[in-house]
Amino acid sequence: MVGIGQFDFNLFIKILPDLARGALVTLKFSSLSILFGLIIGTFFGIFRILKNPILPKIATAYVELIRGTPLLVQIMIVYYGLPAAGINLPPEVAGVLALSINSGAYIAEIIRAGIQSVPKGQMDAARSLGMSYAQAMRYVVLPQAFRNILPALGNEFIALIKDSSLLSVIAIAELTRTGMQIYAVTFNAWTPLLGVAMFYLAMTLPLSKLVDHFQKRIGGHESP
Amino acid sequence: MSLLKIINLHKRFGDLYVLRGVNMEVEKGEVVVVIGPSGGGKSTLLKCINMLEPPTEGKIILDGIDLTAKGVDLNKIRQRIGIVFQQFNLFSHLTALENITLPLRIVKKVPKDEAEKIAIKYLRKVGLEEEFATYYPHQLSGGQQQRVAIARALAMNPELMLFDEVTSALDPERVKEVLNVMEELAREGMTMIVVTHEMGFAKEVGDRVVFMDGGVIVEEGKPEEIFTAPKHPRTREFLSMIL
Repeated sequence: MVGIGQFDFNLFIKILPDLARGALVTLKFSSLSILFGLIIGTFFGIFRILKNPILPKIATAYVELIRGTPLLVQIMIVYYGLPAAGINLPPEVAGVLALSINSGAYIAEIIRAGIQSVPKGQMDAARSLGMSYAQAMRYVVLPQAFRNILPALGNEFIALIKDSSLLSVIAIAELTRTGMQIYAVTFNAWTPLLGVAMFYLAMTLPLSKLVDHFQKRIGGHESP
Repeated sequence: MSLLKIINLHKRFGDLYVLRGVNMEVEKGEVVVVIGPSGGGKSTLLKCINMLEPPTEGKIILDGIDLTAKGVDLNKIRQRIGIVFQQFNLFSHLTALENITLPLRIVKKVPKDEAEKIAIKYLRKVGLEEEFATYYPHQLSGGQQQRVAIARALAMNPELMLFDEVTSALDPERVKEVLNVMEELAREGMTMIVVTHEMGFAKEVGDRVVFMDGGVIVEEGKPEEIFTAPKHPRTREFLSMIL
């Protein structure tokens, strides 16, 4: 008998600690990548709106390149491609690098939209008080931009948690790979994979609730 | 020597010619009121004075310094010119107090507790008691927001204050409280350039009234001259429409 009837409750209980460990690895990789992605994305998001002959072009090229190619290919280029160029990275570093560069491109677009959502008068007021462009960005525009894009960043984090399952191809023992390994040993597909799905939901559902919460709060918080 | 001298100021946005050769001098302590139809270049003139909009041509000279010259530290100069906007432009993520302390702290490097003392002092000056210090802009009425904006500009201790239609976005019953603050400021001797549609204010507080239309100064003079005996037909036409 194949199908959901194959679900083995005793096995399920037994593999829970392994899956939890895998989920923690997933969370670790996603968190590190969103953090680095945020740093990369903030810079490139600002680059995109600068009145500078080169930086906006570089930023646009980066965003288009990353968004136009599959994450799986990006991961494989970093892990299998870079060694051919003499750069050997452990899978963990390659994984975080690939995910960060990937999420950085999406976050750059979010940041750009966030900055543009802040009324121009805020920049004018900041500059008129003697702040430099950088100070006005840092203390006036970016804090408001981040507040406006918190829901979008939350969604990006959710996407990243799910996308990090692709790290299984470079032998990182995150949640999906953990499930696959259990399947390979037990020949039972439903039990570990339903468990895997359940753990992903346990991470993404609270996050999307949080995103909803922020969205509502911003809705009631009109900025002038 | 005049505090501010504007020489042959031109400003173009692409094909749009907004200022076409404005010349103006403002003495220390003088209150100049700029009136005229919308789109006449009044707001752009103010934004050129503090170089938020760099002029296409011409010179802006503040206290002997040409602001349009290369290598001028505009961040330094702008501390000497306060501006208040029609849309208040309070920093919406900061409280009334923080709106005032932020520029003091990061631009003038004033320590936190001293900056807060200064902020409270100027909030009081514009008629806002200490309780409003912790309010966010969206918790304040338009008139209160605009007074915080004035306090924020004053706290930088400017020599020249620019007011860009600061009562136009206010409910009618809130206009007076803002005009009163400006009148008080004028009485204390602040040099002010006020773009406004409040003709009562222009008459009573202005030392000089400037009528602008089509990107040029059409006519200027003492308020009683402009309002009772305007020389130029365009001034007459404008005044007959609004008075």
